Amino acid sequence: MNPAAEPETLLVIDDDYAMRLSCRKILAKLGFQVETCENGVQGLEAVARLKPALVVVDLKMPGLSGMEVIPRVREISREIVIVVITGYATIDTAVEAMKSGAYDFLPKPFSPEELRLIVNRGLERRRLALRSRQAEMERELLKRRFVSFVSHQLQTPLVAIHQYLSVLKRLEETEDAAAKRREWFDRCLKRIEELQSLIRDWLTLAKLEGQCLAQRRVRVDLRQTVDNVLAGNAEIAAANQVTLESRMPEECAVRGDPNCVSVLVDNLVANATRYNQPGGSATVSAETVGEEIELAVSDTGIGIPEEYRALLFDEFFRVEGAQPGGTGLGLAICRKVVTEMGGSIRVESEVGAGSTFRVRLPAWREETPEGA
Amino acid sequence: MSAAKLLVIDDDRDYRDSVRCLLESEGFTVVEASSGDEGLRLLVEDPPDAIILDIVMRCCCEGYGVNQALKFRDEYAGYRDIPIIMASSIEQSPDELFPMAGEVGMIRPDYYVTKPLDIPRFLEVVRRAVGRS
Repeated sequence: MNPAAEPETLLVIDDDYAMRLSCRKILAKLGFQVETCENGVQGLEAVARLKPALVVVDLKMPGLSGMEVIPRVREISREIVIVVITGYATIDTAVEAMKSGAYDFLPKPFSPEELRLIVNRGLERRRLALRSRQAEMERELLKRRFVSFVSHQLQTPLVAIHQYLSVLKRLEETEDAAAKRREWFDRCLKRIEELQSLIRDWLTLAKLEGQCLAQRRVRVDLRQTVDNVLAGNAEIAAANQVTLESRMPEECAVRGDPNCVSVLVDNLVANATRYNQPGGSATVSAETVGEEIELAVSDTGIGIPEEYRALLFDEFFRVEGAQPGGTGLGLAICRKVVTEMGGSIRVESEVGAGSTFRVRLPAWREETPEGA
Repeated sequence: MSAAKLLVIDDDRDYRDSVRCLLESEGFTVVEASSGDEGLRLLVEDPPDAIILDIVMRCCCEGYGVNQALKFRDEYAGYRDIPIIMASSIEQSPDELFPMAGEVGMIRPDYYVTKPLDIPRFLEVVRRAVGRS
């Protein structure tokens, strides 16, 4: 039980005064808030008012019987755990009570220990159910947010392109219009590229979701991968006036999927190049740490404020004020890829000085059989 | 009669650019803001004849915020009557988008258009908003 949380409320419904008293005593000692009622009608009223976590109800009471109380409690809330007390412990009545929604039954006479055990077990099950429902709701929310986010992200560039073209179509054939046309065509192309990279990233993520990407476990030469990635980013680095540098050791191999390692390093280097400043540098290095290789990609960019660091690897999260052009999916992909391959990723950053992304992947061992 | 002035609040530079070009070619004066905050500031500095307001900006539904601020906050009391044309790529009728209008104190915008803009219709709405149709 979470000690910081409010004590759970339990309700005992029994026409027998001695029984109410002893149940209250036993359960209150466990730290619960315990209320008692002497008949079914008062009991139901209390259930509606208190929304208890658990109800202990005697099956045999004058007036509204325990068997009649069970379905009505379920109507009020299906999350309330119901334990029935039965004086004539036949299997039949117990089964009937459980069929109509009771969690378990206690045959009279029972020991304090039996009551404690059954109550704790019932409450534990309820907590588990509540937690899994909470998790389910959070997943659902995330999914809904994902869909609306993606549709907005896809719509925005399309709207911009559509609008450029439809306004261009209306413009009279003037010198001005010719100049605009040249400029706007370029911008349309940029937006199309933005859209393409969004779709590409999204597909990568979707494939990872289905786990059909990071399947291979082979020797990946990290030094070679870094060289290839740096070559691939040379053009954009030159445009941003950022120097790319590899400080990789001679021998450096990890165990993983070559394509995934490539995607990972490329995303990190592309970020270090994009979120940098003119005259800055992006450096890739690596060292062996125990059974793992730690790859470090450092930039001399604006840094990431502390409050954003935890959110950085979430889908579509973008640091406020970041330059446009990114899809907000790159680091989410990195995290997925790294996790798939049994590694980890974290970030160190100093605002105004730059950031370093550190990835750990299993080091390649010659004796490791391929595909294991 | 001087040209009617329009304030375009939208976080997409390309979209603002094309709307500006379109409106200027129709004889309007255009002022641009790239966020709700900037929009509210410019509005006070130099009140426009109408506002063209994007709903979903960087801070999610910033456009609603601008709309609410203008209609409800005392500091904007003097600008309450400036017509607002809300624009969004959400393809839903305003009735569905603003079903709870009265109940939750949400004010329906004066006009609502969907993106990408249907140009003739958009121009008609703009002219109606500034009272020059």
